[in-house]
Amino acid sequence: MKFVDEFRDPALGRVLAGEILNEVDPNRHYKLMEVCGGHTHSIYKYGIDDLLPSNVELVHGPGCPVCVMPMGRIDDGIAIAADNPEVILTCFGDMMRIPGSTQSFLEAKAEGADIRMVYSPLDALRIAKSNPDRIVVFFAIGFETTAPSTALTLKRAKAEGVPNFLCVCNHVTIVPPLRALLDSPDLRLDGFIGPGHVSTVVGVRPFEFIPAEYGKPLVTAGFEPLDVLQTIRMILSQLRKGEAKVENQYKRVVPYEGNPAALKVMAEVFELRPHFEWRGLGFISQSALKLSEAYADFDAELRYEVPGVRVADPKACQCGEVLKGVIKPWECKVFGTACTPEHAIGTCMVSPEGACAAYYNYGRYAREKTPVVNV
Amino acid sequence: MTLTPQPLGDHTGHAGVCGTDQEGCITCGDVALALTVKRVDVERMLALCVNEEGNTESVEIALVGDVTEGDELLVHAGTAIAHLGTGVPA
Repeated sequence: MKFVDEFRDPALGRVLAGEILNEVDPNRHYKLMEVCGGHTHSIYKYGIDDLLPSNVELVHGPGCPVCVMPMGRIDDGIAIAADNPEVILTCFGDMMRIPGSTQSFLEAKAEGADIRMVYSPLDALRIAKSNPDRIVVFFAIGFETTAPSTALTLKRAKAEGVPNFLCVCNHVTIVPPLRALLDSPDLRLDGFIGPGHVSTVVGVRPFEFIPAEYGKPLVTAGFEPLDVLQTIRMILSQLRKGEAKVENQYKRVVPYEGNPAALKVMAEVFELRPHFEWRGLGFISQSALKLSEAYADFDAELRYEVPGVRVADPKACQCGEVLKGVIKPWECKVFGTACTPEHAIGTCMVSPEGACAAYYNYGRYAREKTPVVNV
Repeated sequence: MTLTPQPLGDHTGHAGVCGTDQEGCITCGDVALALTVKRVDVERMLALCVNEEGNTESVEIALVGDVTEGDELLVHAGTAIAHLGTGVPA
């Protein structure tokens, strides 16, 4: 398969693993963060961490869109769907299982709320058009990869005059949480495996503050196993040479300037929220989007009353520490016991892109890594 | 609150998968798919795209410039976010 087979070649993987071994200083410990949940998923699906020297540690970042959604926002969505019989709430699949303070969307649906899963915002608009006597509220989530799709759908709804289509905008942006993590004293990182599909939209330029202000390398990476291995080699090579710069490993998809048309439509439809709560990271200023003044008629948060209450995570759940890379998933007290993908307590166990689910689904329980020997 | 049973989702006929099982939702996962353009509706800025298994879906193409039959697009949440290359019509 094009773009797949050539990036899963075991022989090339072995070559890259050998090159990585040559880049590391055995007396130094390396801590690299993969920003995207998609990278976490690939790393454990393909056993990439087992190919790395024991002094190269991969830390999982906050780039899983559903994992960072705070409980209070889930409660707001349920309130809109449950208290207003005219509403059909639509959302993406993983959102259905994210726990709110008392129930998830799926549980609220079982109790009678009309909550439906959609693959794209366009599907939600289609439901609105075929149910003109109902109000269809799209519960939008995701980083800059998904936000253009929501923006285009709202533009289409406005142009076509669909009055029964509204949006709860929970879109978040990737740069502010990275800055928050870099400012955090909890974590000392040596470099970043940069987001792939987010960068398709925003480009590489927004990450240049990381080497400029913090002296850490970032390499934008694809999601196939050889992409990730090559990216790790590129970061380690910079560290060996004492360099810190932004590089783009995912050039076949990511242009340096991103997608200007996508950025333009986002700027037209959205504006920055002054602050937004991230699960595990707390409030981060200018880290999320809301609908702009021109699209206020489509804003469900202005139409419906929502609790808008900040809800603390369950005490047993340590998703916050996992999202910040402070602990590994298996170090959480409820990992694999009370918290499993079937009965998740925390968001990181719900989405397959979540670090806990990736560990759980691919059997990564090992506390110690086996040292890699170059052959 | 309505007590009428409602469908779980409206996601049939997509090249992508969005589910509540452990395979998860590719949209939530920030996954993007490489799809091939089969037909273009320039007026509505939509393209009918197909994956390697022959599954088709309508894709918004407003963000990727000129698109013609056979082109390969990177698609996320029903929207093409990048033009991967010009191909030959299938």
